[in-house]
Amino acid sequence: MDIFNIALKATFIDNMIFAYFLGMCSFLAVSKKVSTAFGLGMAVVFVLTITTPVNWLLQEFVLKEGALKWMGASFETVDLTFLQFIMFIAVIASMVQLVEMVIEKFSPALYGSLGIFLPLIAVNCSILGASLFMVQRDYTIAQATAYGFGSGLGWFLAIIALAAIRERLKYSHVPAGLKGLGITMLITGLMGLAFKSFIGIAL
Amino acid sequence: MKLLKNLFDGLKPQFEKGGKLEKFHTLYEGHRTIVFAPDITTGKKGTQIKDAVDLKRVMFTVVIAMIPCLLFGIWNVGHQHFISTGVEGSLVDKLLIGALAVIPILIVSYAVGLITEFVFCVVRQHPVSEGFLVTGMLIPLVMPPTIPLWQVALATIFAVVIGKEAFGGTGMNILNVALTARAFLYFAYPSQISGEVWTFFGDAQPVDGYSGATVLAYGASAAQNGTDMMADMAGHWYAGMFDFWNMFVGVIPGSIGETSTLMCLLGALILVGTGVGSWKIIFSVFSGAYLMGLLFNMIGGNSFLELPAHYHLVIGGLAFGAVYMATDPVSAAQTETGKWIYGFLIGVLTVLIRVVNPAYPEGIMLAILFMNVFAPLIDYYVVDANKKRRLKRATI
Repeated sequence: MDIFNIALKATFIDNMIFAYFLGMCSFLAVSKKVSTAFGLGMAVVFVLTITTPVNWLLQEFVLKEGALKWMGASFETVDLTFLQFIMFIAVIASMVQLVEMVIEKFSPALYGSLGIFLPLIAVNCSILGASLFMVQRDYTIAQATAYGFGSGLGWFLAIIALAAIRERLKYSHVPAGLKGLGITMLITGLMGLAFKSFIGIAL
Repeated sequence: MKLLKNLFDGLKPQFEKGGKLEKFHTLYEGHRTIVFAPDITTGKKGTQIKDAVDLKRVMFTVVIAMIPCLLFGIWNVGHQHFISTGVEGSLVDKLLIGALAVIPILIVSYAVGLITEFVFCVVRQHPVSEGFLVTGMLIPLVMPPTIPLWQVALATIFAVVIGKEAFGGTGMNILNVALTARAFLYFAYPSQISGEVWTFFGDAQPVDGYSGATVLAYGASAAQNGTDMMADMAGHWYAGMFDFWNMFVGVIPGSIGETSTLMCLLGALILVGTGVGSWKIIFSVFSGAYLMGLLFNMIGGNSFLELPAHYHLVIGGLAFGAVYMATDPVSAAQTETGKWIYGFLIGVLTVLIRVVNPAYPEGIMLAILFMNVFAPLIDYYVVDANKKRRLKRATI
């Protein structure tokens, strides 16, 4: 129940986009078509679900103060927390590389349409954000996995909803100055208003 | 009529191409077509149009469907004033007091909204559309009667500019415009629009034991402090106020137009009868809310969760939102299957937010906005599923 709650909370209440504004760049840039947004969203869900527990292990057995105890008594006081950012990013980047290879093999069309944004998942702030939040909140490994999955799902929902809206927007008559990113920012704001429905629910 | 026709015909040359006021042509056309149909007719050959059900007529139908709610709202505002001050009042008194509170809000909403709309029409040279006739009526109906007028003006401008004109005007917005106005006020000036908003006017003294608490406030207190909601409702200072049938008729405090489920159903009859509103959406919102209520009954825990499911249909703004706002053809799902999903989820979310989320006493506003955001996505997948099904049937 606890794990389920954490995933639900990460999806709707603490949504990566609307509550923390993380991962905005690809959210705004790759939301022109639902099919592409769907692919990228799935990739983000996958990467988040894998990297959060891997980073948890890393944090717990390598980086944290006293985490290296298993190597012997002399390592008991070693604190490698200063390596946290670089280690987390290395894990994320290698995971993204893996996803990229899988997508290229199985869906060349999606690979083509995602273009530069697929490798850029490596620097998608929501992924590093989830790992850092997981450390900050002292989750267990199961909770961390649930949190990563929930965050990814929230991001996925947000981006496909935005993509569907933007596809419909093709028929509208947006003022020239607002076309493209301008109106997308406005939509994001209005979506945030709607997503406030869940903020405040205590799980 | 003759006089009006002469007036419009006399003004016409000035607004035509090359005339002095050519820039304002859209404004002229917009006003003329309120009384006279466009005088363009279809050619002798080719497609013939018999009945031009245009946006204007559709929008006026919605406005007419809202009139029962408005009139009842005006009376109810006066009625509640007399109840809470403990003074006897005649029907005329009640209507007068109500009108004094409601009409200014109505005027501000229409005046400010239409001016904004006209400015955009002239600058962007798109025809004046009638969308605002409905929005301008909906905005006052979802406001508490004590709302400051400048807030109404501000919210209207925000909703028309950001919610609608930025997307290109009527028919292109993604969120319901009236609800955008209300949500804007709700988050910007929460103290005037939520909580115990509904009171009496002027310096009158309230009766002993008076409190402005609404049913939803009792519910929120039941969910948080474990008070007994049914007992609270029965023990209200005005006996029988929160009786089921009294709430159905709508003689309870609340925002101006939303208290009466009966009047909303009357409006729904007009909307569905003329084919303007979708009965699928209205029906599925109610059934979603009812089923969610039943589910909460089964879970139980506090007296709000155990509130009989049919009560959920008459308290708060559920009926008003279901009939007039969820059915907004622009922001709702447009596929037939999509409408069922869309409406059902609105109902479910409304009751969910009402009961589980302590931050908001009522959920219908945010539930509709939330589903507005997801309506294009629902449509996308319904169309997609349709395509796949038909592809499977196709043989080459």
